[in-house]
Amino acid sequence: MARVKDVVKAEEGEVFDVELEKDVLKANREIAQENRTFLQKHGVRAIDIMGAIGAGKTSLIEKLVDKLKSRYRIAAFKGDLTTTIDAEKISRHNVQVIAINTGKECHLDANLVRKAFQKLSLDSIDLLFIENVGNLICPAEFPLGSEKRVVIISVTEGPYMVVKHPFIFMDADVVVINKIDLASAMDVSVENLKADVKRINPKAKVVPTNCRTGEGVDNVIEALGL
Amino acid sequence: MHEGSITTQIVESVLKEAKGRKAKKIVEVQLVIGKLTFLNSEQVRFWYEVLTKDTIMQGSKLIIEESEGIVRCPKCGYEGDFKYIDDPALHVPTPTLNCPKCNAVVDIVGGKDCLIKNIKMLV
Repeated sequence: MARVKDVVKAEEGEVFDVELEKDVLKANREIAQENRTFLQKHGVRAIDIMGAIGAGKTSLIEKLVDKLKSRYRIAAFKGDLTTTIDAEKISRHNVQVIAINTGKECHLDANLVRKAFQKLSLDSIDLLFIENVGNLICPAEFPLGSEKRVVIISVTEGPYMVVKHPFIFMDADVVVINKIDLASAMDVSVENLKADVKRINPKAKVVPTNCRTGEGVDNVIEALGL
Repeated sequence: MHEGSITTQIVESVLKEAKGRKAKKIVEVQLVIGKLTFLNSEQVRFWYEVLTKDTIMQGSKLIIEESEGIVRCPKCGYEGDFKYIDDPALHVPTPTLNCPKCNAVVDIVGGKDCLIKNIKMLV
């Protein structure tokens, strides 16, 4: 909110200073905090899944749902510019999925997530996956109110994905390195990618996976404390 | 990355403030943009010029001050700039979450803001 510190009354035709101290990015952070409180009140744990296009965000959620649905009542928000293709993929695993189509925006924001809550009975779930739009830059600017943030990259994106996008990895609790079965074909070292994450964010847990077979997904579950 | 929409919000906020104070003209707007935001000052300037056209903000001076990213170490109390990876192959220094003093994991405490700090208006 605007916080006016000093107000000086001016005469007609006089220039005067208004010290405003208004933060235009703060609006999203405040809604994110409201979302966090709202989720906690309903006993729902929310996990963000962020990553580039084709990194395996949806595949990771599909595998997590299969492994966790006997223990948790799960729902998912699926952000995309258009289409419900991925949302339908996840819903085939018999969980409620709400597609959030951003139209032209390259990221989800806290307000869109708050809007999506209206379509969901939060008391009937205890775990919510929020899959962001495929992008490694913008989602870092817009927290949504989740408990943990996962960033997924894949070896097919090349060896420099981490060092090229340091800011999103600073925000991550868990970093998943996917498609490890293709690492040697791509001539990409999973160990080097791991080391890059650890150099930028030593507190992030790094988990290699193959989300097609499910290899490593149990370690993601453990890293998330689920 | 979102200079267009953010600058729209800035211009709208200034115009609202000006209206409330019955200002005739905006002379100067001072912003503080954190270095950890994804806002590029050059692009903010471009959008500012476009968006203020035909408003009482047209021709006003835009001052942009950049605020540094600041981290705080919960272990040794260090507060200040990041520790950077000093690797010539990366060309630009890459910030890390390690404390430059004791290497513990730090918290980011500054540099993510986008403030309208001050407006000079003609009433």
